[in-house]
Amino acid sequence: MTALLEARGLCRYYDGEAAVEDVDLTVAAGEIHALVGLNGAGKTTLMRMLLGMARPDAGAGLLHGVDVRSRPDWSRVGALIETPFAYPELTVRENLAAAARLHGVGEIGAAVTATLGRFGLERWADRRARGLSLGNRQRLGLAAALVHGPSVLVLDEPANALDPAGVVFIRDLLREYAGAGAAVLVSSHHLDQLARVADVVTVLHRGRVVGHLDAAGADLEQAFFDLVAQVDGVQVDGVQVDGVQVTRRGP
Amino acid sequence: MRSALVVEWHKLRRSSTVRATTMLMVLMLPGLAIGFLVLARGGGPGAAALKAQALVPGEGWQGYLGAAGQVLAVGMFLGPGFVAAWVFGREFADRTFSSLFALPVSRSAIAAAKLVVLTGWGLVVALLTVSITALAGLLAQVGPTAGADVGSGLLRLAASAILSAIVATCVGLAASVGRGYLPGVGAVILLVAAAQIAVLLGSGGWFPVASPGLLAMAGSPGVPPVSATQILLVPLTALLAGSLTVRWWARAEV
Repeated sequence: MTALLEARGLCRYYDGEAAVEDVDLTVAAGEIHALVGLNGAGKTTLMRMLLGMARPDAGAGLLHGVDVRSRPDWSRVGALIETPFAYPELTVRENLAAAARLHGVGEIGAAVTATLGRFGLERWADRRARGLSLGNRQRLGLAAALVHGPSVLVLDEPANALDPAGVVFIRDLLREYAGAGAAVLVSSHHLDQLARVADVVTVLHRGRVVGHLDAAGADLEQAFFDLVAQVDGVQVDGVQVDGVQVTRRGP
Repeated sequence: MRSALVVEWHKLRRSSTVRATTMLMVLMLPGLAIGFLVLARGGGPGAAALKAQALVPGEGWQGYLGAAGQVLAVGMFLGPGFVAAWVFGREFADRTFSSLFALPVSRSAIAAAKLVVLTGWGLVVALLTVSITALAGLLAQVGPTAGADVGSGLLRLAASAILSAIVATCVGLAASVGRGYLPGVGAVILLVAAAQIAVLLGSGGWFPVASPGLLAMAGSPGVPPVSATQILLVPLTALLAGSLTVRWWARAEV
């Protein structure tokens, strides 16, 4: 399969400490690639480098085979990194129109109407973004990232602040986009939220790719912590809470 | 670039910060000039009257336009300066900066659009403020217009207001590099203070934040004339700061 998005030996250091080190990764058309890892594992930094938001100290991020530092064609990329595209003074409709315009959409009105419907935002269409709940702001951010129907999606913790129905919606959305041939790179530190829909689950730990998980595996969390503990050189007795507390035994 | 211009104009138009600043500038600045004139005419030994008399250099329109020049010299930099701090700094304060990456519209185009929109808004507000200043003078019957050289005084005031609004776009650089409103606001305060010092030291004409004010007050007692070269420095400074801002935006990381 053709890789639409690729990391080749990407490295980024902050104050001499590796945030991302020697990461190789590909996301092919029609593939959902989940990045999982603890907080600070390097997921966001890796995504930033792939989107040209941060310069790598070594390696390269490639979009359609073109180095992202040499101005590739961003028109078919949809991204949500950390904070949603939600200008507080603009209404939901105006925010979507602004995002559509910046993404080069021709028929802005039609795209905005369709996106409002697809993301269940009609009720809030004329409300200013500053008056939205956290969950609806996130929904707006996702809608703004996808208003132009991208073929490459890079979504950092897209389920943040969403209720369970919202999480299911995101899963369906990712499947729909991948089904239509899009390359999807998504990060999550809540393993059961999004990793289950992934074709490839890559585990990042301390800035490095330490392995892959079987998304269809029986106990994704246990497998994740076993892998992380193995890298850290500790044995694990058991997982207690999702990503929060792990009982360790000896080095 | 056109897409960025439309989006930036829309953001500016819908901002309550910009609306409030616009209202303050077009109403408060002429109001202050009228107020100083009224206080100065009233005379008396009070501190406010004495201060007003110092700000009103003469009688009738000459005194009124002189007072307006002093008010606009500061106000026409403060208002656009604060708006420039908001336009650039808000992307960091609201954490929307990362949304401006991975787009077919480049960040340098977005920064340039911000500068264009800011300049356009500044020009409109400057002309509106001067027009209202003139109207307020007529309504307040500050003096006979015949032989008072009102036309050239108003033109000088308009040129000064426009130059101040243009040079205020420099604040966008501080708000960008400092990644927020506060560095921009700090730059406004620092530049106004530096302009006052430059004027006191007699080199205000060479300081692009001070020279528009000196132009507005030209002809008033103790105000040195401003040369064409000194005036030219104002748009050149704005151009230099603008190009540095665009360059910074093109290279910035999240």
